[in-house]
Amino acid sequence: MRGFFAKIQNTVFGSEVHSKDDAKQRLKVLLIHDQVALTPAQLDAMKLEIMEVIGKYVEFEADHVEFKLSREDGSISLVSNVPVRRVTARA
Amino acid sequence: MAECIVVTSGKGGVGKTTTSANLGVGLALAGHRVVVVDADIGLRNLDVILGLENRIVYDLVQVIEGECRLKQALIRDKRVEGLYLLPAAQTRDKNAVGPDDMRRLVAEMKETFDYVIIDCPAGIEQGFKNSIAGADRAIIVTTPEVSAIRDADRIIGMVEAHDLPEPDLIINRYRAGMVQRGDMMNQEDILEILAIPLIGLVPDHEDVIISANRGRPAVFDDDSVIGQAYRRITDRVVGHDVAFPDFNQKSGVWATMKRWMGLSPMQEAV
Repeated sequence: MRGFFAKIQNTVFGSEVHSKDDAKQRLKVLLIHDQVALTPAQLDAMKLEIMEVIGKYVEFEADHVEFKLSREDGSISLVSNVPVRRVTARA
Repeated sequence: MAECIVVTSGKGGVGKTTTSANLGVGLALAGHRVVVVDADIGLRNLDVILGLENRIVYDLVQVIEGECRLKQALIRDKRVEGLYLLPAAQTRDKNAVGPDDMRRLVAEMKETFDYVIIDCPAGIEQGFKNSIAGADRAIIVTTPEVSAIRDADRIIGMVEAHDLPEPDLIINRYRAGMVQRGDMMNQEDILEILAIPLIGLVPDHEDVIISANRGRPAVFDDDSVIGQAYRRITDRVVGHDVAFPDFNQKSGVWATMKRWMGLSPMQEAV
């Protein structure tokens, strides 16, 4: 029943996720991985190493660190968001 | 100055041959001297799409191997002034020809013709490498599907790696109704991902099948929506700035009702 109402709500308020949005999202991820020859395991390893370095200088919320590859106009960038709790080391 | 344009896609079945045929005829109708080359050795099809399959004597491989002269292998299309086909060999394989052979052949054709259109085979192997060897520019054909766009992206990278200028894009089999429902990526979605200039938008339409049945490319027909789409593409290829018609406009209430009641088919005009 909840599914039914959700469907009505989605249809009426236009918040339904269209299949073309799935296509676009999947393509974006696909093209990044076609271009960057890194396995998910290698990406994880890189993330851990980078976090280790950051940890030397600042204290951060490890659970909320984001690492993602994104693609705009055909070029790929590595985007990361590291929420810092406080700076531990001073220059 | 003569120009060699390769029509390619990576993925098979997206409309390279139909595009090559219509572009070739379109350019000839506009008064240019054109040769369309079927580079799909072993799986020739351009002759059939053009309705010239019964007139083949020699083929591309025989020209390259010196069995005949280029002139003997070229088939003149009698329906339009200045259009010729160089057919592929049907009984050989792609490795019978190399990139240097193609470069020489294209150079020879450019002495006589304004445009050399190369219909590239699917894939990224020898046939692709041969096809782009002599090209000055590339047109990438895709459809609004994940797999076709993925392959197009790969091909765009390879075209640019071969020192060709940024290729142009044709989006084929576009269905305005599905786009309106959000079930097909629209041209903005596709261009955002592929990031190359759009040179054509061709609707999914039964005229493509009918013209293939008859061996008469739709661009011959002024009234066909497919023919009109390819005429616009032809104009853009030679450098004219032709607007893309607004095909995403909502249809009227009456048309929508009729469609619901099954009285009229979905019109997909691009």
